[in-house]
Amino acid sequence: MILPAILSSLILLVSLWLIFSEKLNRTITAIAGAALIVVLGKLLGFYSESDALAAVDFNTLGLLLGMMILVALLEPTGFFQFLAVWTGRVSQGRPVRLLVLLGTVTTVLSMFLDNVTTVVLIAPVTILICEILGVSPTPYLMAEALLSDTGGVATLIGDPPNVLIGSAAGLSFTDFLTHSLPIVVIVWLAALFLLRYLFRRELAVRPPKAKAVLKLNPAEALNDRKTAVRVLIVLGAAILLFFVHHLLHLSPAFVALGAAAVAMVWVRPNVNETLQRIEWSVLIFFAALFIMVGGLEAAGVLDALVRLMEHAAVIPPVLFGVLLIWVVAGLSAVVDNVPITIALIPVIQGLGAGGMDINPLWWALAFGAGFGGNGTIIGSTANIVVATLSEKTRTPITPKLWNKRGLPVMLATCAVASVLYAIAFPLF
Amino acid sequence: MKISDCMKCNVVSIPATLTIAEVASIFVARKVGLLPVVDEQDRPIGIVSLRDLLELELPDFVNFIADVDFVHDFGAVETTRPNPEELAQPVTTLMQPAITVEENCGLLRAYALMLQHNLLDMPVVNGRGELVGIISWVDIGTAILSAWQPKGNKEE
Repeated sequence: MILPAILSSLILLVSLWLIFSEKLNRTITAIAGAALIVVLGKLLGFYSESDALAAVDFNTLGLLLGMMILVALLEPTGFFQFLAVWTGRVSQGRPVRLLVLLGTVTTVLSMFLDNVTTVVLIAPVTILICEILGVSPTPYLMAEALLSDTGGVATLIGDPPNVLIGSAAGLSFTDFLTHSLPIVVIVWLAALFLLRYLFRRELAVRPPKAKAVLKLNPAEALNDRKTAVRVLIVLGAAILLFFVHHLLHLSPAFVALGAAAVAMVWVRPNVNETLQRIEWSVLIFFAALFIMVGGLEAAGVLDALVRLMEHAAVIPPVLFGVLLIWVVAGLSAVVDNVPITIALIPVIQGLGAGGMDINPLWWALAFGAGFGGNGTIIGSTANIVVATLSEKTRTPITPKLWNKRGLPVMLATCAVASVLYAIAFPLF
Repeated sequence: MKISDCMKCNVVSIPATLTIAEVASIFVARKVGLLPVVDEQDRPIGIVSLRDLLELELPDFVNFIADVDFVHDFGAVETTRPNPEELAQPVTTLMQPAITVEENCGLLRAYALMLQHNLLDMPVVNGRGELVGIISWVDIGTAILSAWQPKGNKEE
């Protein structure tokens, strides 16, 4: 079993390096890696096509697809524009109030919707509000990315790593609300106060044209009220069902896809336009990663990793959990947190099979993967989106700036999360 | 009808050595929408349009928000001006590749070129590639429509 293990690890490492160095698009890399590992598995007889299909977690893909369809229906209605404009008005052009409100709206949205979509839709209106006010949009854009990444950790559907962890560990929506939400609320507040401090100079500038935002009319920013109301009703019903999905024996994927079906029948959109808004590249990236990691597992690489970690398990479980938060956070800051999570899930399951209590480890993985992404400009997709958008403006966000303002937020959120994790450890 | 029959021959052109600020004052003084940039032999090497200069003042959000109808007051951006350093840059930083037509080009072909390249004016050159005139969207459009008139039309 040595040769399959070495070769398949090599494929994973080269793929991760290609993704990290941005030499090749991550979805293309993952598809190529998945194909290579299946070829290798067939040649050396450790992995077959049916094994590869079985390695794909369709619960994760279904949940993501269902939520993407709902957002795709909501997007053209201007609902997100409405929310951001409303926020601008309520803030009355006061910088700190605007930061808190925009951060809160983005966070609440990203607890139920994909972070990236939320940021993509809120950021343009943020630039609009800031330009009208005559202030730099940088603090607000960075706060939106950082706070939505932080807030997304709170719910089962808020963050792709959570979807993966929930599906693998059988954690329900309410499990996340009782275990993750309380910690995330405190961590989120810490992040907000830190952002307020880091951007104190920018936020002290009084906007020269504060009155102009009061002339923005949120109702006019909402293009299609009827559709927005319909999709929001379905989304609300889906969220209610998420609360009780485990009692009704429904999978989160079923709830999400069911809601998407109801919304499509009710709204009857142009289906091609709606499907074009789905991020197929993300779904394919996930599926390909599942196949790659499945191959690694079949080759015995993950077993070896589990045995290695079992040696480390002589240290106290609390310390082991905290260590896991920081290792995962460090990795998530430099590589996408999705491959890290997909690769670590079977390792943690292996530790569980060896007799270790792995319930606390799932939460450590969720916190590390969620908060770690804040560290660098490429740490999370929301960060990349905000940075790319800002490059097209007069005030681009540079990697250097992110290291100065984003990295402290990652360190602070991980530190606060570690302390709370250690305190709450007996409850996990 | 050909381009040479409806173009304006009195054309203002500029050398590539000017700054953006200098070019802006030419636009203001001559009230034109496009300035061909020419070399020593009077051959167009590029174009600078009014729109390219206005881009310097246009707020970023206009490029991100599909429908700005709901923004009733542009607030601070109404009075923001490009900074002097930006205006001191050579005009070549804003210059677009020259899309020109030859003077004997047909009207519909010229119109299609303008449409596809999203232009409002186009420099006209002779067989040696030298600038001989300029034609606007309105010049071409009205020349085409003039052929629809029952009398007084000048068919080729």
